[in-house]
Amino acid sequence: MKISRRRFFAGAGAAAGAFATTPGSGIAAAQVAKTPKAVGLPDVWGQDFLYQWSPPDNVKRDTTPGPNVIRLSNSQDITNREGTDYAKMFQTMRDNGWTACEAASAAWLSRKMPDSEITEMKAQLKAHDVVFYNIHCAGNIIAPDPDAERWQRHIIDAYHSAEACGCSMILTHAGSMYPNRNTAHPLNWSKTAWERSVGALKNICKATAGGKLKICIEPVNTESINNPWAMKRLREDVGDERINCGLDIQNMAYAGVAFRMTELLNTTFEVLNGMIGYIHAKDFVWDQMLPGLSWAMNGTGNMDYEVFLAHISKIPDPIMYVEFLSSPEEYQEAQRNIRAIAERIGVKIHGTQPPQQA
Amino acid sequence: MARSRLSRPKAYGGCSFGNEQDEAEMESAMRMRTAMKKHALVLGMILLPTLAMAATPDFSGSWVRNPADSDPMPNQMYWVTREVGGGGGGGRGGRGGRGGGAEVTLTVQQDAKTLQVSQSNEIARKYTLDGKAHARPTDTGIQKAEDTADLEGDSLVIDTVEPFGGMPGNASLKIKETWSLSPDGKTLTITTTRDIPARHQTFKEVYTKTQAQPGAICSAGCIGPQ
Repeated sequence: MKISRRRFFAGAGAAAGAFATTPGSGIAAAQVAKTPKAVGLPDVWGQDFLYQWSPPDNVKRDTTPGPNVIRLSNSQDITNREGTDYAKMFQTMRDNGWTACEAASAAWLSRKMPDSEITEMKAQLKAHDVVFYNIHCAGNIIAPDPDAERWQRHIIDAYHSAEACGCSMILTHAGSMYPNRNTAHPLNWSKTAWERSVGALKNICKATAGGKLKICIEPVNTESINNPWAMKRLREDVGDERINCGLDIQNMAYAGVAFRMTELLNTTFEVLNGMIGYIHAKDFVWDQMLPGLSWAMNGTGNMDYEVFLAHISKIPDPIMYVEFLSSPEEYQEAQRNIRAIAERIGVKIHGTQPPQQA
Repeated sequence: MARSRLSRPKAYGGCSFGNEQDEAEMESAMRMRTAMKKHALVLGMILLPTLAMAATPDFSGSWVRNPADSDPMPNQMYWVTREVGGGGGGGRGGRGGRGGGAEVTLTVQQDAKTLQVSQSNEIARKYTLDGKAHARPTDTGIQKAEDTADLEGDSLVIDTVEPFGGMPGNASLKIKETWSLSPDGKTLTITTTRDIPARHQTFKEVYTKTQAQPGAICSAGCIGPQ
């Protein structure tokens, strides 16, 4: 079944489309011609059939591997503790199969790292062939005043710290109208929320003008960036090429697409082609009566990891960040599944993982 | 002929008959012997498989799980990582959901070639006992699973290979179940190993035979008596 982009998103939700159809705003008016009017998946069983939540039986699953080698990332070790033995830290990462890492901004910015320490850290990164690519930012850039401004300042500080440490990006969020951005506010998909997000990111871009780092936005269902079209639209509205996607496609899952992740993967990688900074690796299942999705071990849930890995291996210098697990053992289990699935379809993953304990 | 005649009285317990009578008796005895041979052959053909069956274990019946002697089973539907009370470790596919607080009852029907297993609220399974791989749809209906089942000595061994959870693109899950009976046939032990790249797990379950008729506890979807 050939599905056009327009049809693909002609179903549920209306986050991005709400703005495109609202006249009177200069931003919205400028975007009408190039943005969709609605978001959602296409009809599977014909327009007359009520339900479209089951996958079509002819969904395209291209598992052809790309040319690029994926680095697996983990953030359990890098915390900016004073007196860190960087050689030991990065060697431990390598021994455990991780070849990239990112830091959490709150801890990272809690101590000003001396230049000499940054130099040492960079040298050890190089010596151990580990990439420190990102500062993962806490906070909420559209929180109720006065917190929004404080968090925007935090993002700007993180940007400068990431520059100093040789990272290629920072990661943040579009934000929530509640102080806690993990809580869905009923107006998070309103025009007001959108304009606050766009305005906050313009502020951040202006304060970091001239910088080369990507400002990646993580999609998440509790916020307005909960589909690839909204992500693309955000870059257009902010008007800065540094706005990219820190793709967490699992965060876009909802009941209507829970069993159609192969299609969501295909479309997301197509729509966001050229603007994916890196990728989060998680998995989920729908295991409750209400449409409650639960986090699952990577490679055991509804994510189509074969198609996922095939897409990622076609991105330049791909990094896959494994997160949301509870213990080092679980991270090793996740890595084993990911490496096994990658090997099955011929996708290459950097480094080696220690053998499983008997 | 002379030998026959000489042997005849022996054959008939030393009784003496007249000549004509002897001829008729001899013919009759020969016919009877031939018929007996045929009957023995037919009987053998009938009995041999039955005798062979008697040497193999029969798992038929209703079995109630003994939680005290069984390992706790993880959630076999999903491997949830942020569930209250710790991670899962099971997986969809194969028989799922055994354990927990509710009583678990298996209903098994076995004949010379097949074994059917059903459990309340679970999709029933039918295995062909020939040691060959048989494809079937996964419980999700959108992927393929492969079962291989065979009686090996006193045990039944069932191997299953499928994508974890029956979903596309997932890690491959290999399940091996080994069924065995106690000498008195009243206790069924199932040892299950579950292998995916992430984790190797082994569980033992012990079931006690009940008087319930096969199929009696089945809910919708179970295989009852035909």
